[in-house]
Order: sequence, then structure tokens, then C-alpha cells
Amino acid sequence: MVGVIRRMNKLSEKLLTVKHGPGAAVLPTEVARIHLEFAHKLNDGHMGPRKFWRQNLRRLKYWNPAIPMVVNRTHDQKGPATLSIYFREPGAPIQQDTPMPSSSNDGDAKAPPAADGERLVTINMKNRRSDEILKDFLTKTGAVPVKPTAQEELLMQEIEELKARGEVDRERVSKMVAHEKRERQIRAQAQAEAAAIKAAL
Amino acid sequence: MASTTRCLASLARFSLSTPARPTVASTIPKFLVPSVAAPFVRHAGAGGMRKKPTKKKKTYKTFRSYDQSDVEQYSLCDAMRYLRAYEVGIPPTIAKYELAVKLKTSKSGPVVRNRIRLPFPVKTDTRIGVICPEEMAAEAQQLGAVAVGEERLFEAIRAGNIRFNKLICHVDSQDALKKANLGRILGPKGLMPNTKTKTITNDLKATVQELIGADEYRERNGVVRMAVGQLGFTPEMLSDNVKSFMSSLKYDIAQIDDSYTKALDEVVLSSTNGPGFSLDGSYAPTDSAITPEHLHSTM
Repeated sequence: MVGVIRRMNKLSEKLLTVKHGPGAAVLPTEVARIHLEFAHKLNDGHMGPRKFWRQNLRRLKYWNPAIPMVVNRTHDQKGPATLSIYFREPGAPIQQDTPMPSSSNDGDAKAPPAADGERLVTINMKNRRSDEILKDFLTKTGAVPVKPTAQEELLMQEIEELKARGEVDRERVSKMVAHEKRERQIRAQAQAEAAAIKAAL
Repeated sequence: MASTTRCLASLARFSLSTPARPTVASTIPKFLVPSVAAPFVRHAGAGGMRKKPTKKKKTYKTFRSYDQSDVEQYSLCDAMRYLRAYEVGIPPTIAKYELAVKLKTSKSGPVVRNRIRLPFPVKTDTRIGVICPEEMAAEAQQLGAVAVGEERLFEAIRAGNIRFNKLICHVDSQDALKKANLGRILGPKGLMPNTKTKTITNDLKATVQELIGADEYRERNGVVRMAVGQLGFTPEMLSDNVKSFMSSLKYDIAQIDDSYTKALDEVVLSSTNGPGFSLDGSYAPTDSAITPEHLHSTM
């Protein structure tokens, strides 16, 4: 296994990126479940939904672990790209076992129709950028964005500093390596020339 | 130095050609002329191309073990929360939880190696289809079935979309299966559920577990790695799997002869696409707003 400190440096950065950034928001209790459907490849306007899934949905899932978020990826590029939000009607009981298919990468998990006491809101994601989709999603759900705590901000700063230091070091080392390589080349060339002269004598 | 020699040499030429004229060279004492004062003599064995002593690389008899005081450790539910966020939208039967157990051990000597039947099986090269009434479909999916249902499954089989290599049938769906007339398709493939082969059952859980075989694990480079769960598992299921794996591993370590050092060092939980979390052995989430039930939701 890799050494502890290197591992922890990487881990804290990864955890902060999943905790904070665009998409870090707590959804209200009315949001029962979320369903996304889009195609595997990015042609025909499927780039935005894909980015939304890869970058923003993780943060939403972190802050709302109890809400099922199902992604259905199809192989039909011409098909739709929709985000369905299922709202619980006020007063409706919280049902733990509403049937929901689990995520699929061959188009099997179609968006189920709204159950009793549910209201379905869809967002068309096709040909839209992920930040637009996120903005639309946050306004339609009324999600509360999460701000990093002072401690976490400090940690973020430390990570930035570490990265900057790493950049400086990387440059220094690459210079050193290039210099060594050049010297080796010169030496090899000189030796070859000397050998040629010797052979000529 | 070089300039003086060159100078002297030219002066010497002068003196040869014009001996009558007094030269400056004669005023310099002989021992100050470099070629005379320090003649370049090569002594055998002294100086020259003597080999530098190469630094010998230190070899270790044991695998390196690190100071664990710098390791941030997480409870099982905390690690699961992060990993579920990382794996959101990936089909839960594809993404797996993996456990890596680092051992304090020497590089030579016996290694830990065994097979285990986990309480909740992980392996997916046995892909199971379950014919059951729709209300049991979710339960069957939770158990790891890739295709579930009654009429929709029959439709898929008729269409030739067979993604499973084992098929079982719940007793309640037996009549529906008979009516569906699938014997001609499933029979030759050996997939037709049958009471004789115990593939028609009223306990889906036990049958699914029986069908899915045991998993093997072994120590490689001082680390034992194994898949311990699918992403769709609940914290309780994963905890059961981790516990049974760890107890089996501890038993194996105890079986090894005392003359070899072998002990647990670190337990790291990761997932197919997620980072690794060092576990501290506790279960409950640290965030008071989250309970283990929150991690039950469909992935």
C-alpha cells in the first residue's frame, strides 16, 4: 500500500471536492426521488446531462443520502435527456418502499410514473449545459446550498498551498532531470567522437 | 599554469635560435617550471580510475508498515456515505465495495489463503434471474438478481434477451411459468426451473445464496484484498460481510505457525470507482443528521 501521508493528502482533497462545490445542497423533504435519463455518448446534446451526473449529482447524493437518485443511460443518442423530480405532496406519508428500479447502463431503468401522493416535475436536459441544468434543478426543488465551514476552508487553502508547492517542485525536478539527460548526451557524444578518432589513427 | 608553460616553450625556441641573447627563462629556477617540478608520474594502484564505493540498497525482510497515527479513520457508515456518493448512477450490481487488509508480515514464509462464503454473496459471474410476483421483485433485486419479474421477464426471454446464467422461480409464479411455455427456449440451455434441481423455491434468499459460490482470497504483497459487497447493499449487509470476512481472516492468521510474525495492520474500504477509507471498526455515522436507514435508498 502507498504511504500514509501521501494517501491522506489525496483523500482529503477528494472528500472536499465531493462535499463542496456546485451541487452541494440539501434538498427539502418534499423531494422523494430523482431520476435521470440520457444517452451514453455526448453527441446530440447529451454532454450537459452527463456532466451534471459526473460533477453535480455526486454532491447532491452526499448531502441527501436517503433520496434515491437513479441514472438510466441508454444507447439511443437521438432519445430524450430528462431529469424527473418526484415531489411528495404535502401531508402524504413518507413511503420507504416505493418501487424504484436501480440504475442501469443499458436503458432498463425507465422513469416510473408518479405514485399516489406524488407530483412529477421534469426538466429537459438535452442541448443544455450542466450549470444551467443545475440552476434549474435547484430553483425547482428549492434546495439550500451548503457552505464549507471555516475549518474546511482552511483545509482547502492548505491543499491549494500543497498543490502550488508541488508545482514548484515539479518544475525544479524536471529541470534537474533535463540537465542530467543533456549532460549524459554530451558525454556519450564525446566518447563516440573519441572512439572514432582512435579508430582512425 | 598552462600560460607559463606555453610561454616558456616559446622562449626555449627563442633560446635555441638565438643563443647569444640572454633570455628571461634562465632567470626562472628549474623547480618552478611545472613539467620539471611536478612530473606527471602514474603509480600503479594509486589514484586514476579507482572505483567509487556504490551505495548498497538496504533490503528489508518485512513489508513496510507505516505509522498509523497520521491515518484518518472512518466508521463504516461514513465511508459508505462517501462511496455511495462516488458511485451514484452506476448500476449497483456492477460497482463493488472492496476491502484491503494490510498485514504486518515478512516477505517470505507462508501466506494467508482461504475461501469464504459471505453471508451476502458478491460474485456476479453467476447472474441470476428470478421469476417471482412483482411485489417480490425489489427484494429479489436486492439479493442480487439481474432480471426479475413475471410477465416482463417472460417477454425478455422470448425476445432472446437472456442476461442470466441461472434461473430460479418462486412457488407463487410456478403456474405463470407453466402457462408461459418457455420450455422450448429454456430447456436446451438448462435454465428451466425445476423442483428436482431445487430451482423452484419459496425461500428466494436461501436459494440465491446457495447458487452463488464461495469467494477466494489470498495475501499478495502483504495485503489481502477481496470484494465484500455490491453497492446496492445496506450498511447492515455490508457490516455482516465485513465481520465474517475479518473473523475468517483472523482465524487464518491464528492458524499460521507462531515462528512467523503475522498480524493485522490496517483495514481499508474502497469501491470500484471510489477512494479508500481506513476503517476504525465502528459502525454508526458521525453526522447526527444521518442514520444507517438513510443509506438504504436505491442506487
